[in-house]
Amino acid sequence: MHLPEIDKYAHLDSPLRRWDARVKLACLSVMLLAVALSPTHVAALVGLALASGLVLLSRIPLSFVFVHLRWVLLFCLFLLVVMPVRLAAGGSDTFWRAGPIALSGHGLSRATLIALRATGAMLLVYPMFGTARFHVSLKALRRLRVPLVIVQILAFTYRYVFVLLDEAARMLAAARARGLGRAGALRTFKCMGYIIGMLFVRSFERTQRVYMAMLARGYRGEVRTLDEFHLRSADLLKGALALGATALLITVGLVS
Amino acid sequence: MADNNQGSGIDSEVIVIKELSYTYPGGAEALKGISMSAARGERLGLVGPNGAGKSTLLLHLNGLLRGRGSVEVCGIPVTDGRLDEVRLKVGLVFQDPDDQLFMPTVFDDVAFGPLNMGLQREEVERRVEDALSAVDMLYAVERCSHHLSVGECKRVCVATALAMTPEALVLDEPTSNLDPYHRRRLIELVRGLDMTTVVAGHDLDAMLDICDRVVLLDGGKVAAVGPAEDILTERALLEAHSLELPLSRQS
Repeated sequence: MHLPEIDKYAHLDSPLRRWDARVKLACLSVMLLAVALSPTHVAALVGLALASGLVLLSRIPLSFVFVHLRWVLLFCLFLLVVMPVRLAAGGSDTFWRAGPIALSGHGLSRATLIALRATGAMLLVYPMFGTARFHVSLKALRRLRVPLVIVQILAFTYRYVFVLLDEAARMLAAARARGLGRAGALRTFKCMGYIIGMLFVRSFERTQRVYMAMLARGYRGEVRTLDEFHLRSADLLKGALALGATALLITVGLVS
Repeated sequence: MADNNQGSGIDSEVIVIKELSYTYPGGAEALKGISMSAARGERLGLVGPNGAGKSTLLLHLNGLLRGRGSVEVCGIPVTDGRLDEVRLKVGLVFQDPDDQLFMPTVFDDVAFGPLNMGLQREEVERRVEDALSAVDMLYAVERCSHHLSVGECKRVCVATALAMTPEALVLDEPTSNLDPYHRRRLIELVRGLDMTTVVAGHDLDAMLDICDRVVLLDGGKVAAVGPAEDILTERALLEAHSLELPLSRQS
């Protein structure tokens, strides 16, 4: 099975790829926080523009970005449809009404702000984690003093999520080959429940085998790795630029 | 015990198992009083039908399971206080590469054991390079395990054990799921290793190619022990234990 891994295009040369992963993650995390907390539409738009610019700079194909982004966009669309709806008529911000249903300008404004923030924040994930191999990003997170247990959970999740999805796909294919979906919705839901349950059981069994494989190679509670990072002046310059852009974003949020 | 070594022509014993019994928590009795040994440099095969206890026995060699009876590796008893020493002596390769290769990259996976041994960076890097060179996988050092083919994964699995420079290498079904080309390469790789090797599996042709001596297990007991050429060509014995002659020996 072919799955869209976040670091699929990490080999593409770009200023972001050449940026020290520690500085990149630290600076872009601050920017991501600023985008996600943009207080106004103007600030959120500036954040979205910054994130889009960084995605373009990373040279990651937009079609690949859209593979993940579509789910965020779908969620945003849902918010844009649901949040403006008011059942009780009235309110000064109502801009459309049909019987008991009204659309509120305030709701639409909030939904738009959330959509802009979410899209901008999601776009920033690509320059952050799509321009270096994931294991390099994990080592950088560790160097940035992210707790070991969190880094290990991320590492194991990334290692085994594809194994798990492959297993799920094989089980679904086997179920379909034996008529899954032909015996009504209730029966299908029941079968899906069994499949999910079996996936949990298999995953649990795998964790036991993996743990034994770790013990067999001397594991005593801490996963150790070697890493090598070299900080250059260009990395610091890029960091300063990113932080400057973030400061601009925050300023726009305060004045607009 | 002495009988078990007949035909091997090898002296000092690296693995010694005496009266080993093991019952799983669910109540299944997997091993029933197994006694056997493997000599230095010997390539020992474990064959038997499904549920014979082969994999359970292998897990005892590294102290991952603990049954009644005794297991010694290089003269070290497999006891709670000496598990770290034992695990330095025995390299264990699991059947499923997705269990063995749990780190983000091939380098990290092969370096996992040496780093746990407390070795310095230069030594770890040297061992990773040596182990991957030995299995002809140095080109994949920076790749992710889930991007490798099954054949490549199996070879990296062997490298993860070799990097710890063990006295004995234990392999569970090393040729399973391999195409003929990669199966042949893996057999040649194992044959070329200069260390005590214990191999469990159903691929009797591979066992014939790899092993000097074979232990036939059935129902958690030793059913027969002897030179691979003798045990694996005895049709009546094999059929009595739900096995068949290797394809290469069927007329």
